[in-house]
Amino acid sequence: MELLRPDSLRLPSRHAQADAAQGDIEKARSIGDRASLRFVDWIWHISGSVPLAPEQSSDEALGKLVPLFRQPGTSYERTGDTLTFRKKDPVAQDKMSVFDDGILRIEKAVTGSVLQYHLTSRILLLCFLAPLLFLSFAGLTLVAGKFEKPPAKESKKKKDEVLPQNPIDKFLGAPAPEKPKKDGADKSEEDDNKLSPTSAYVFAALFASLYAVGRILESRLIRALFKKKLLES
Amino acid sequence: MDGVLVGKRLIGTQAPVTVGWENIPRVEGGPVKQFIFTWFQPTMLFALIAFWYYAPNSIAKTSTAIGIGIGFRVLLLALEWVNPRYESWRLTWKELVTDLFYVGLGFTVIGLAEYYIGSDAVIEAVQHSFDWHKLAWFTGLPLLVQAFLISFIFDFGQYWMHRGMHNWYPLWLPHSVHHYITQLNINKGAVGNPVELFLIGLGVGGFFDFLPRAVLLAGAISLGIGTYQHINVRFNSPRWWRFLFYTTEHHSLHHSQDYESTRSNYSNNFIFIDRMFGTCIDGEAELLGMEGGRRMSISEQMTYPFTEGWKAIKERFGRPVAVPAE
Repeated sequence: MELLRPDSLRLPSRHAQADAAQGDIEKARSIGDRASLRFVDWIWHISGSVPLAPEQSSDEALGKLVPLFRQPGTSYERTGDTLTFRKKDPVAQDKMSVFDDGILRIEKAVTGSVLQYHLTSRILLLCFLAPLLFLSFAGLTLVAGKFEKPPAKESKKKKDEVLPQNPIDKFLGAPAPEKPKKDGADKSEEDDNKLSPTSAYVFAALFASLYAVGRILESRLIRALFKKKLLES
Repeated sequence: MDGVLVGKRLIGTQAPVTVGWENIPRVEGGPVKQFIFTWFQPTMLFALIAFWYYAPNSIAKTSTAIGIGIGFRVLLLALEWVNPRYESWRLTWKELVTDLFYVGLGFTVIGLAEYYIGSDAVIEAVQHSFDWHKLAWFTGLPLLVQAFLISFIFDFGQYWMHRGMHNWYPLWLPHSVHHYITQLNINKGAVGNPVELFLIGLGVGGFFDFLPRAVLLAGAISLGIGTYQHINVRFNSPRWWRFLFYTTEHHSLHHSQDYESTRSNYSNNFIFIDRMFGTCIDGEAELLGMEGGRRMSISEQMTYPFTEGWKAIKERFGRPVAVPAE
């Protein structure tokens, strides 16, 4: 039997149900949608394969993986050589909590049996989109800053006064308080910080890097987890 | 579960908890590791205080404090990796992303909201109409006394705000979301509904911004004590430390799946405030969360207070459903 391509390991998704129900035109459109999604769905889809040990039957292999799906909020179904699962609000301690649903199938290749998997992860998609959200916050902050009134010329009376220094602090060598800057310059500097988009930009960059790390890391971790479970005696 | 009687309260009847310092595990490992994880907290606190006490005016500013805060949290993340309190609380990529999302909200939109409609706006108005000479006695106090008083006043307010959240349903609704976390990690304090994050951000700290060095020192005290609330690190905190200051142990109990345990340990930095009002329980818990440890998705965390609030309003004020007569 030919090895399954990742494309044919699509989840028993809304697409399949929709195809059956819709007319030819809508069906064609649906196929078109799927084709276009193929270029972007790597963002939140993770596929891969793990070779099975020689002589390991598909039943035995799936049996070893089943404990991974006996978790709170996880439902799964085994049909022949295929296992499908779905998770709702998995606990943080669930080793597969990154994934929301997926399909695992044992395929026979020339070199031996192989576990093929195709998993989807909403958190990967959200992490991918998070930079856009933070960039929009940066935009919002910039707009808010434009409407902000310039600092008042008249500074408060207390600003003109140097704060007293307690003799104990003087004795211990703490720096003497300096005279506050005139015209409330220090206050406006503080306000500028609060209305600065810098933190939004920093978080946008942070989430972009976290996405790159997560996409690679989670792909490797899940492969290692499946491999470890399949090799367990 | 039988539970343990603490004062008049039965603790741990719904989920396992450990009560009493003598029952809490110690750091495992050689003498060097024991030494580090016993003295890390006091050393860092005194180092932070010393830095802000002696730092020249040119570097004693908010941006330096933010930099130190970020660096300190990165160091604590490394400690979580080296010496976790519980393996089941290990930080995963997903948890890190979720936590940082909330940290990001705090630094951006929630900060903006605080600036316009939160305590920043109120404090600005109060400061404009205040006779500053009335505070001369305060500004003349030694710096460390000023810093302690600022920290204490802030923590005292936080204690009652937090206690209020656990005792008044409209405040509990936004706070409840934070109690759905199932493990403690360094950024978990930021996880919650934005309404709660806004409420918890309300404080009097900004009121003292005319005392820049005292405020920076107060911030250092908060960083050196309060940061350990949500952390997955096992420390052998010295006896005097855990008597005076809030610890991870206290906060894990506050987040326990046992309802009675959650009604304790409300302060942020100074656990003696809880001791003063009889709400302190010394102990810890591993199983955290609500509804048996159900994890909330980010979308539910955003909407939960509103959907639950709407249900409560309908229940209370809604028209009774007509029941057909038999």
